[in-house]
Amino acid sequence: MTTTPVNGRGRVIAVLMMALGLLVAMAFGFGSAGNAHSVFTFAPVNISGDRPWHLGDLTVLTRWWNVVLGLLIIALGVETWVRRPKAALARFGGAAIFFLVALLFWASRSPGPSQVPFVNVTSVLTGSSAIAMVLIFGSLSGVLCERAGVVNIAIEGQFIGGAFFGSVIASTTNNFILAALGGAVFGALLGWLLAFLAIRYLADQVIIGVVLVTTMSSLTSYLNLQVLTPYPNLNIGNTVATLPIPLLDKIPLIGPVLFNETGFFYLAILLVAVVSFALFRTRWGLRVRAVGEHPKAAESVGINVARTRYRNVIMGGAVAGVGGVAFMATQGQFQPDYTSGLGYVALAALIFGRWTPSGAVVASVLFGLSAYLANGLQSYSVPISSEFIGMFPYLVTIAVVAGLIGRVRPPAADGIPYQRS
Amino acid sequence: MNRTSLRRIGESPSLLTFFALLLGFLIGAVVIIATTAPVLNAWRQLFSSPTAVLHALNVTFDNVGAAYRALFVGSIGNPSSFAHSLATGQSWTATLTPLSETLTYATPLVIASMGVALAFQTGIFNIGANGQAILGGIGGAWIGSMMHAPMIIHLPLTLLAGVAGGVLGGLIPGILKSFAGAHEVIVTLMLNYVIAFFLVYVVQSTPLQQPGQANDISRTLDHSALLLPLFGAGSGLRVSYGVFVAAGVVAFGWWFLNRSTLGFAFRVTGANPNAARAAGFNPKRIIILVFMISGGLAGLAGVVQLASTNYFIDGGFLIGSAGIGFTAITVSLLGRNKPAGIVWGSLLFAALGVGGRTMQARTGIPLDLALIIQSIVVLFVASPVLVKEIFRLRAKAQTVQLATKGWSQ
Repeated sequence: MTTTPVNGRGRVIAVLMMALGLLVAMAFGFGSAGNAHSVFTFAPVNISGDRPWHLGDLTVLTRWWNVVLGLLIIALGVETWVRRPKAALARFGGAAIFFLVALLFWASRSPGPSQVPFVNVTSVLTGSSAIAMVLIFGSLSGVLCERAGVVNIAIEGQFIGGAFFGSVIASTTNNFILAALGGAVFGALLGWLLAFLAIRYLADQVIIGVVLVTTMSSLTSYLNLQVLTPYPNLNIGNTVATLPIPLLDKIPLIGPVLFNETGFFYLAILLVAVVSFALFRTRWGLRVRAVGEHPKAAESVGINVARTRYRNVIMGGAVAGVGGVAFMATQGQFQPDYTSGLGYVALAALIFGRWTPSGAVVASVLFGLSAYLANGLQSYSVPISSEFIGMFPYLVTIAVVAGLIGRVRPPAADGIPYQRS
Repeated sequence: MNRTSLRRIGESPSLLTFFALLLGFLIGAVVIIATTAPVLNAWRQLFSSPTAVLHALNVTFDNVGAAYRALFVGSIGNPSSFAHSLATGQSWTATLTPLSETLTYATPLVIASMGVALAFQTGIFNIGANGQAILGGIGGAWIGSMMHAPMIIHLPLTLLAGVAGGVLGGLIPGILKSFAGAHEVIVTLMLNYVIAFFLVYVVQSTPLQQPGQANDISRTLDHSALLLPLFGAGSGLRVSYGVFVAAGVVAFGWWFLNRSTLGFAFRVTGANPNAARAAGFNPKRIIILVFMISGGLAGLAGVVQLASTNYFIDGGFLIGSAGIGFTAITVSLLGRNKPAGIVWGSLLFAALGVGGRTMQARTGIPLDLALIIQSIVVLFVASPVLVKEIFRLRAKAQTVQLATKGWSQ
């Protein structure tokens, strides 16, 4: 990756944001009728029982709120242009969220073309947090592998393999802890295979990763027809129950989204904290990062490069395997092509998040929201195609690696086999 | 950094490929054994009688043999029906259908693989053949269905539109790599998804959507834009004039790599970029050019697929050309990025895909087994040192031969 002068391409993002803001103000703001209203509701659909607080519906004038949101995005763009902050990427993320909110206001306006005259914010957030959770597992797997210098492009394969075996175990035992363990073991096995071929046999990591994905998707699709179809009780599609955290789950909006989740969700949050701490605050993390940046130097101070890489890739595989189980535990029955490219979105989230756990979370939330909206917008009969929202994570990632939006720098030895000289 | 391409793996590449194929089919057999109920039952009764072992072996060979025989018969043909047709001069259609189907599937595959191989030879990994083929299909569908002209003008223009679509798809990663240093693997991988979404959008919108349809389906190509069946529409054989396009592409690829100045510059860049720069080749220009050619070939593959097999774009085309894009990568690895190797590799993988259908119909073993075998073969081809160890071949000192560079390069 070449170093990017901040003045040059850094300003591209500022212009992009200003254009986005203008679009919001003109199309979504002045494009809606003066008397149009948008209604946001907050009542959770999945919790019954009493809640101490109740959030009323938020009714706003579509035109003026979208004009304000557009102006906010423009302001962010102007600020990026003038001050050229280092965190331009974060400002772009903020602008993207404003954009999505404005889009929702506009899509659900009434009188308008929409059949559903309101947006249930709580269900939008819970729906997208389910996707974000899977992306977090995947991008954390990428962080573990790539920080040690091994490219894990096989996240998708570990997802789909984990989901398959998770489904079989969950169907036979109805125990999602066992399913998660099974998925972890299987993902770790795939991670070991990747590490084995990449480290011992110096195979090309990107090629091995791509081929592992096709192997896993064809193998699971084969097993689905050959084993799961004749024995449907191996794939009954039971989903995991949520574990509401007492009291906290009663908080409006935040409660149902963050504190009435599955164990997998809490595990993802916990893993982010653990990996983040271990990577940047412990001796182990320092060693891992040394191996990923400059393996020769690491070796010269007595770090075993190969062992570090093996360990990390196996751990990364296990994390992605659990991610596959988490996907299956929230979506139900296994099908061929089950994860439909989510592993590559996780790779995108890893890159957008600059190879850090916390960045991966932000990217996963943003990409999860856009992936959910790409599906969810169809019920609002929006004149803009949901396909363009679906493109968003991929386009942003391309812009990021091209240095158009901020800068990212991968670990220096990422993807390069290490040979002792 | 060592940027040697995958060209020179091992001392005897064809031997290694043969062993990789052997391992692929062996593992495929293991998968069949482990998942087929009659075979498993036979082994479960291993200790029931003294001859149970023989019985179990018998059942195993029967099942695996039946599957692999169906693969062969479905993709190449049945020897006895060949004999019958030769003797009586009748039912040639039925006899030749398997071969015709294999050639039909191999045609776009050869073209796309040639594109991927050219990139590999230059040290570039183009995972985006997939998306470029889709763009080629969109371009071809546009000209092929919206324009009306006699075939002599219409067909070449349709094919050119496909090439143009692919070139466009290749230009994006090419420009981003040479001017912004964006890694081509990430960009092409992400572009595949962007383009797949774009395809869905295009076939749902005017003007390309079939008028009067609410489904995701495009207009049908004019008859004058089609690559017609080679033996006439009445022959019942689908193999089309596209094979000549594929043959032309192979000839072009051979000439380009071995005889042209630009091809030489590509290969030097792939082997040693510093030497290429010292020799006065402009690396930025070469990266953009290789992506244009590689993408153009992938686009041509997409439009050939459209004009010879699909005739319109729908969900099946998306899956079909997605198959082309990813299979092309595996084919060019298998064929070691050489024109002749690519022809054989494409025929083999097309045969596996076509024969897989017959296998599924006759023995109930899912078609996906063919894809598993393909993937495993390529996994071994990509790890030559492992194959050497398994077969106790004399291993030279381990050398790194990479097709791709680390993210930060």
